[in-house]
Amino acid sequence: MWHIAKRELYDNLNSLRFALATVLLLGLMLTNAAVYLHEQPKRTQKYNAAVTESVNDLTVRADSLYTLAREGPGLLYKKPSSLRFCAEGGEPFLPNVVGGAFLWSISGGLKGFWRLNYPSTTPNLTDIRPNVTKVDWAFIIGYVLSLIAILFTFDAISGERELGTLRLMLANPMPRYTILIGKFLGALISIGIPLTLAVLMNLLLISTSSAVQLGPDAWERLGIIFFIAILYTGLFLALGLLVSTCVSRSAVSLVILLLIWVTFVVFVPSTLASIAGGFSSPMSTDELWQRRGELYAKRWERYDAYFAERVERSKEIQFKGEHVIAEAEEQERVNEEHLAQQIDQVKFARRTTQISPIAIAQHLIESFAGTGFERHLQFLENTRTHARQFRKFIADTDSGDPESSHIIGIRQGMSEKPVSPAAVPKFEDTLNLNQDFNAAMMDLLLLVLLFVVLLSGAYLAFVRVEV
Amino acid sequence: MLTLIRRELLDNLMTFRFAAAVFIMLLLVVSNTVVLIKDYERRLADYNTAVKTHHQQLQEKKTYSAGRLHVDRPPNPLSIFNIGMDKQLGNQVEVYFGFVPTLWDAKMHGSDNPIMNIFSSIDIAFIFKVVLSLLALIFAYDTLAGEREQGTLRLVLTHPVRRGHILFAKYMSAMVCLLVPLLMSVLLAVILLTTSTSISLSTDDFLRMAGFILTTIVYLSVFYLIGMLISALTRRTGTALMLSMFVWGFWVLIYPNMILASILPQPTVEARASSTFNQIEQLWEEFEREQEQYLKNDAVPGEDPGFGIGWVGGSMNRLNKDAATLQYYYKKGFNITEIDERSEPQMPHIQNYYQFLVPLTIDIADRTWRIRKPALEKIYVRPALIDRILLKVSPIGMYDTATQAWVGTDLLGIQDFFSAARQYRKTVIDFFYDKNAFASRQWIAADKGAADWSTLPQFSFQRSGIRINATRALPDIFLLLMTNIVLFIIIFLIFIKTEV
Repeated sequence: MWHIAKRELYDNLNSLRFALATVLLLGLMLTNAAVYLHEQPKRTQKYNAAVTESVNDLTVRADSLYTLAREGPGLLYKKPSSLRFCAEGGEPFLPNVVGGAFLWSISGGLKGFWRLNYPSTTPNLTDIRPNVTKVDWAFIIGYVLSLIAILFTFDAISGERELGTLRLMLANPMPRYTILIGKFLGALISIGIPLTLAVLMNLLLISTSSAVQLGPDAWERLGIIFFIAILYTGLFLALGLLVSTCVSRSAVSLVILLLIWVTFVVFVPSTLASIAGGFSSPMSTDELWQRRGELYAKRWERYDAYFAERVERSKEIQFKGEHVIAEAEEQERVNEEHLAQQIDQVKFARRTTQISPIAIAQHLIESFAGTGFERHLQFLENTRTHARQFRKFIADTDSGDPESSHIIGIRQGMSEKPVSPAAVPKFEDTLNLNQDFNAAMMDLLLLVLLFVVLLSGAYLAFVRVEV
Repeated sequence: MLTLIRRELLDNLMTFRFAAAVFIMLLLVVSNTVVLIKDYERRLADYNTAVKTHHQQLQEKKTYSAGRLHVDRPPNPLSIFNIGMDKQLGNQVEVYFGFVPTLWDAKMHGSDNPIMNIFSSIDIAFIFKVVLSLLALIFAYDTLAGEREQGTLRLVLTHPVRRGHILFAKYMSAMVCLLVPLLMSVLLAVILLTTSTSISLSTDDFLRMAGFILTTIVYLSVFYLIGMLISALTRRTGTALMLSMFVWGFWVLIYPNMILASILPQPTVEARASSTFNQIEQLWEEFEREQEQYLKNDAVPGEDPGFGIGWVGGSMNRLNKDAATLQYYYKKGFNITEIDERSEPQMPHIQNYYQFLVPLTIDIADRTWRIRKPALEKIYVRPALIDRILLKVSPIGMYDTATQAWVGTDLLGIQDFFSAARQYRKTVIDFFYDKNAFASRQWIAADKGAADWSTLPQFSFQRSGIRINATRALPDIFLLLMTNIVLFIIIFLIFIKTEV
């Protein structure tokens, strides 16, 4: 078997396609590193500046607990991943900030309380540069590597059959599967060599630069991504072998393979996503505004009804506080519902695209690189946790003040003492590998399953093939 | 000659690749057209809602100064062919007398799920530029190398035919073969388009489509000739195929994505933006000074811009500025419902004040625009144009710009809308002048009669005429044609000199 793998390897190493693949991969990986090194420091700087500003704003508001509670924790920013070069993951289209809203005045002389509010448009409205895919690892692996894999295997069996060498090889006393596995390994190694080389060059460039630091966690992630790349290449090699076995002429084999490639790599991830997205229609922004307006009006009706009768002064404050809090909570719930519907639509679309291996691979790379949709969900979850923490902090601080009457939502009912800015919980956007790994396990299994199915398919086809 | 073409044609038509080409093209184009039409219909519905809401909002305003006018950009029905910038850039902009609207001030109406944007969308031009070019190469790689391998080329050349004729026959027949899936798929797309009730197409639109198809054919021929060139250069079909695939991968997948990544934005841009922004700030400081000057010199003592009037109602006083997009404007408006009777003698003064202030604001806004426009061009438009020029090194880039120009979803097409919005601002200002609105009581107060918006001309945006589309598309079509001719000449020269 190793003999055959070695022969394949030598064959490939001398070929034109090997040289072209090496040049292509090296060029892409180096560009990727250069762009990343240019952009990442700026991105981090921007993030840090924004976070500092947000914290400074918080300090201003901390002069009284009431103001702090009313105006909220400020803007919460998504931390840029240090592995952004692995997958862009549609980051430019995803909001990198979750804000809050508070109303300067809601009628009755009351002021609205802070609630979570999610941005409703994409952040790049004024970007007039032509939009092209970013050259990230996900692109290099997903598009280029799969194409190279096809070009390495389309004639693996059919080519030898055309030349007649297959018959010669089968005349030797060895089982057929060794030939197949040998060919597979040979191709895998001969793609693995330029890939490893390119990846190493890329990482060398990135790790030697002082501008970016990759922690031990990042290297772990990179290792996994590399493994995914190899698995994905193997999958396309198996596909190539399968088609090459079934078809008698190399040219036909290539045409079939390219059509499959176009369908799965170009067509499925975008068109199918649009089709799947069309099945659900989440609440539109207009509807959201309408819902909010209705709720707001209803709340005020209740408020007016309450004050239509004479009430005690002490109870009045209590009611007003509850009114303000309930208004904010209601509105936040609608915001959440709106977001949840949007997320469900995207989730469904993403799940549908997973019939294509490239989508699986890209999702995997994204989740290990800490970018993209899954990451965005984590970020949103983090902001929610923070909002809870923040509210708990307000309640705790307030109950710690003996002068306050502990009615949150209104100035008269709350502590007026200044809050130490250091004590206010800080938002920290975190990301852990463990969680990623659990979420990605299904995808990984799916990829392995596809690989096994294709390889055994190729084996079965090859065993039955007449030479 | 004709026999040659016929032979080649029959050869090609009977192959597996021809069937595969037709099948895949139809599948891709039809499924995507359905998706794209649905998407367009949703955007159109959003647009209609937005227009209605904005109209209502305006009618509800009882004073002229509180009137907020928004103009909306309708989605382009031909964006199905090449989406271009149609969906990506803002489609609603505020028209306000104290501010000249640009693309950088636009917002997005509509209620699309923004997160869905993480999926790239495919338009018909994308299918053509990726799949059709691949098919062209698959048809081309063995035209010369294959015949040479089999020895049939020698056989053909023993007959008294010219080599040029052989080349031409091969080229013609393959192009005819490639045109079949192309035209069939476009035909189906057009049928789907015309059967959709929400899309109304004009004669111009059909001419634009014709331009689109023409460009596609020229583009296709470039890729076929590239394939032929490779085929003429190589001895073996295997090598030709391999080279073709790598050339395709390079031009279609790698070059466009890599070139934009590798040119980095110039650092001088930020410096320029801040210096221009300073100039704009100075203009508005001048505005402040003149305003103070007026208040000092007018008949009323004191410098109070409110003239000490007691009123009930709403007011708006907001400064918008953004250094990155050089945006800077004041928004000042009143929506007064009641005026204290004791303040009544002050009213003529305040009316005089606005009669002075508003034209001044307009003037400063116009002067701001004169500074802002070239700066925006330099900071944003020029780099974007350079990007596009770099993309044009690949035939993909030429094709993309040409088709976008045809359907009107290129940057210029979108900017047409903003020039229309700027034009409309002038109309609105004229409307105010006609009504003598600045000096009127209705400018700030609605207590004695509300503002009358009924005679305000409606905004409507017409896409540029076919002639303009054609002028914008022609340079790229010309480039594509030149590439064709050059490639053909090279192939001819090589083929003449090769030994069979």
